[in-house]
Amino acid sequence: MASVVKNILKSVREKGLVNFARELREEGFLNCLSDGNLLQTKIHNIGATVVGVDKFGNKYYEKLGDTQYGRHRWVEYASKDRYNASQVPPEWHGWLHFITDHTGDELLMLKPKRYGLDHKENFSGEGDEYIYHSKGHTLNPGQRDWTRYQSWQPTKTQ
Amino acid sequence: MGLGLLASRALRSSSSRVLSTNPRYNLFRTIVSTPELHKPEAAAEAAAEPDLPKRTPVAGARVHFPNPDDVIEVFVDGYPVKIPKGMTVLQACSVAGVDIPRFCYHDRLSIAGNCRMCLVEVEKSPKPVASCAMPALPGMKIKTDTPIAKKAREGVMEFLLMNHPLDCPICDQGGECDLQDQSMAFGSDRGRFTETKRSVVDKNLGPLVKTVMTRCIQCTRCVRFASEIAGVQDLGMLGRGSGEEIGTYVEKLMTSELSGNVIDICPVGALTSKPFAFKARNWELKGTESIDVTDAVGSNIRIDSRGPEVMRIVPRLNEDINEEWISDKTRFCYDGLKRQRLSDPMIRGADGRFKPVSWRDALAVVAEVIHQIKPEEIVGVAGKLSDAESMMLLKDFLNKMGSNNVWCEGNGKNTDADLRSGYLLNSSIGGLEKADCFLLVGTQPRVEAAMVNARIRKTVRATQAKVGYIGPAADFNYDHQHLGTGPETLVAIADGGHPFSSTLASAKNPAIIVGAGIFEREDKDAIFSVLQSMAAKNENLIRPDWNGLNVLLLNAAQAAALDLGLVPESDNAIESAKFVYLMGADDVNLDKLPKDAFVVYQGHHGDNGVYRANVILPSAVFSEKEGIYENTEGCSQQTVPAVPTIGDAREDWKIIRALSEVSGVRLPYDTIHGVRSRIRTVAPNLLNLDEREPAAFSVSLKPESPKKVSKLPFGVMVDNFYMTDAITRASKIMAQCSAVLTKK
Repeated sequence: MASVVKNILKSVREKGLVNFARELREEGFLNCLSDGNLLQTKIHNIGATVVGVDKFGNKYYEKLGDTQYGRHRWVEYASKDRYNASQVPPEWHGWLHFITDHTGDELLMLKPKRYGLDHKENFSGEGDEYIYHSKGHTLNPGQRDWTRYQSWQPTKTQ
Repeated sequence: MGLGLLASRALRSSSSRVLSTNPRYNLFRTIVSTPELHKPEAAAEAAAEPDLPKRTPVAGARVHFPNPDDVIEVFVDGYPVKIPKGMTVLQACSVAGVDIPRFCYHDRLSIAGNCRMCLVEVEKSPKPVASCAMPALPGMKIKTDTPIAKKAREGVMEFLLMNHPLDCPICDQGGECDLQDQSMAFGSDRGRFTETKRSVVDKNLGPLVKTVMTRCIQCTRCVRFASEIAGVQDLGMLGRGSGEEIGTYVEKLMTSELSGNVIDICPVGALTSKPFAFKARNWELKGTESIDVTDAVGSNIRIDSRGPEVMRIVPRLNEDINEEWISDKTRFCYDGLKRQRLSDPMIRGADGRFKPVSWRDALAVVAEVIHQIKPEEIVGVAGKLSDAESMMLLKDFLNKMGSNNVWCEGNGKNTDADLRSGYLLNSSIGGLEKADCFLLVGTQPRVEAAMVNARIRKTVRATQAKVGYIGPAADFNYDHQHLGTGPETLVAIADGGHPFSSTLASAKNPAIIVGAGIFEREDKDAIFSVLQSMAAKNENLIRPDWNGLNVLLLNAAQAAALDLGLVPESDNAIESAKFVYLMGADDVNLDKLPKDAFVVYQGHHGDNGVYRANVILPSAVFSEKEGIYENTEGCSQQTVPAVPTIGDAREDWKIIRALSEVSGVRLPYDTIHGVRSRIRTVAPNLLNLDEREPAAFSVSLKPESPKKVSKLPFGVMVDNFYMTDAITRASKIMAQCSAVLTKK
C-alpha cells in the first residue's frame, strides 16, 4: 500500500497536479468511486502484466502465480462508464476465455481480408439506428427500391 | 401420352372389355354375368371393332379433306386413321393422337428432317423412318411405341446431348426448353460420352436476339424461318460434321422486323431474348392473354408479368391475324411500359413548372376552364393507343359540352366514317392468302403492319402472286414491281393504259391495299373514286365472296374511332381552338394552336403531348386496363389487365367519367359495362369480340367525286418502324434497334 501511495506522489511530481488529475479521470479512477467492478479491476491490475491492447483500447491483463486459476486473465475495458462483454473483438475472445493461448494480436492474421467485417459491439437498447435490421426491414438504411417504373420528371421547358 | 393412354384404358366402356385377356378385368368377370355366352352375336360384333381406347388428336388437330378421293387410311399403333394424301407420317400420328417428339420439324416451316428425333417404326421398312419427312402411304402400319422407336429416340437424344453444354441452371430457356423436356421423357438416364464437348463462337445478331451457339443442335429452324417467313437471307449453315454451325456468313446483324420469332422457334437455348436475359424464369411469370396495340394489326399476345412488372411479351396463336408470329416492335416494346410514366396529376404553375396535385384539384381546374370556353372552341383528340371505351366517353363528354370536334390521331380532315368498307381491310388478313395479285397504293406494309406484310409474303411465296407498288421507294422482302410514286400511276392503271392493269384484270382475286396515309391527302375522295371505277370495270375486285378493296390502317385506335364516328368537324379546328383535350395524342401538330389555348393531356407517357399541356392527367397503358380495340380488318378484341396501374394513374374512361361529374355534365356510366352498353347503341360490332365483322356495304355505293387527283406523290407514313407511339418512343430497346437496325 505504501508503494502505491509512493507511486502516486511520484507521478504527481512528474506530471504536475493538473495533468495528474486529467489522467486520473481518463483512466477511470474517478469512476471507481461509484463503480465497484471497475475498482476491483483496478486493484486486480496491480502487479499484473498487460498482454495486449486491442484497436478499441481494451487492455488485456494476465497475472500468473498466486492468482486463482481461471481468474488469471481479464480485460479492462476502454470505456469506463458503458462497458459490456460484447466490446471484446473476436480475435481476443479466445485468449480471454482460455480457448487459446495465442493473443489477439497473433490471431489478427486469421481475419479474412476480403470479406471480414469490423467488429461491432452489441447496440441493443442504444437506439434503432445502431441496431442491425435485415435487408427487407423498414429501418434498414439500404432499403431496396421496389418501384418497378420510372416516372416522367417535369423539366422547365418553353 | 403414356399417362393419357393408361387413363383412357381405365375408363374404357365395359362392352369391349369382355373379350379382354387383361388380368386386371378378371375382377369384373365375377361381378357381371358372362354376356358373351348369353348373346353370342353381340360378342362377335364387339370382337370385330378394334379393341382400343379412344384417342383424341394432338392439340385439337383437325383434318380437312379438300378432295374426297384423296383420302387414305393408315394405322397408327393399330388405330385406323383417315388422312388426305400427301400428309406426312408425323401429321398422321398427330391426327391419331400420338405426339411424336421433334426438334427440326415445325408446322409453318419447310421440312428439313435433320434432327432424327421423330423416328418411328413402319412395318415392312428395314430401318426406323424419320416421320416428319416421310409421306404417309395407304395402309401404312406405323408403330410409335415399340422398343425400336424407343431405342432410336434414346440414341438420337444421346447424340444431341453429347455436344450440348450442361447449362440448364443458367440457361434462359430452362423450363421451356424442348431439349430439356424431351430428354426427360425419351433420353437415357446416363451418358457414355467422356471426350470434351465442342464449343462454338457466339454470333452477334443485334440488340434483340442473344446467341449461345454452343447450345445449338443444328435443327435449322431459325435458318428456315429467316429465309421463308422473314424473307431475309441472313442466317445459314456453315461447316460439316461436328464443325457444323449456324451463323451469318459474314459478321452481320439480323435486319428483319420479325427477328424476335427465332427466339420462340428455337427448341433449345441457343437463341434467346437479349433484353429478357437473366431477368426471370418462365415459371415465375403470370401470363395474361391480351392484344398488341403498337400497330393496327392487333396481334394476339401473352403478357408475361412478375408482380407489378411486365417481363416479356410473347405471341399467341391466332390463325386469322398473326398466326404464331409477332413483330419485334410488339415483342420488345415492353420496357417502354416502365419508363417515362406519368404517375401523378400535375398542373403547370405560373412559372411554367409542373406541380403534382391531387386528382380533385386537377379535375376542378379543368372543369372550371372548360366552362369559360365557347363550345365551338373545344377540341378533343384521341391518341393512337386509345381504347374504344375511352373514345366513346371522350366524344360523349365533349358533345355534352357542346362541341363535336373530336377525332382520333391519324384520321385526317378528309376521313369519312360513313361506310366501314371505306376504312377496313375488307379482304381480311387471313383472306389475303387467297389473293393472286396485289396492288399496294401508298403503303409500305413492312413497316406499317409487319404481320400483314408477312401474310402477303406468304402468299407471294406460295402462289407467286404479282405485287405492284405505288409510292416512294421502299423496302420489300418479296418480288414486287415499283410502278410509280404518285396517284397518276393509279389513274393510268385504272384507265387500262398501264402494263400492270392487264395483270390486275386477269387476276382471279385481286387485292388493292391503300395506305392510311391517304386520309391526310386533299385528293382522298378522288383516289377513292378512281378505285371505285376500277371495281366497276373489274368484276373480280368486288364480288359477293371477295372484296379486294382494302385500306390498311396505321394505329390501333383508328378503326374503333371511325366506327364510333370520331372524325374532325371542321378543317381548322386546331387553329381556332381555345381548349384542347389530348387523350394520349402525341403526334398532333400543335404549332398552330393559339398561345392562350388551354391544353389538357391525359396519357400514360411523358411524350410529345405533355410539353404544351397545362394539366396532366395520368392514365393506364394497354397492359394495365381492360379495353376494346378494333384491328384494321374489323375484328374487335380486348386487352386484359396484366399488371396494376402505377402511382395515381387511372383508366382512361374513369378519368373522363370523373371529369364529367366535376364539370356538372355527369355521364351516366358507372361501370365498364355501362360504357359498353353505350357503345352497343353506337357501334354494336365493337362488342362482338374476337370475331371479324365485315363491312356491310362496299365502297362502290358512294357517289363519284368531282375532284381530280393531285400530282403530289404518296408519302411515307412510318419512317422509323421501331418508334411510332408513346410506348415505343419511351423504350430503350426500341431506341437501340432504331439506332442499329434502321437503314440510314
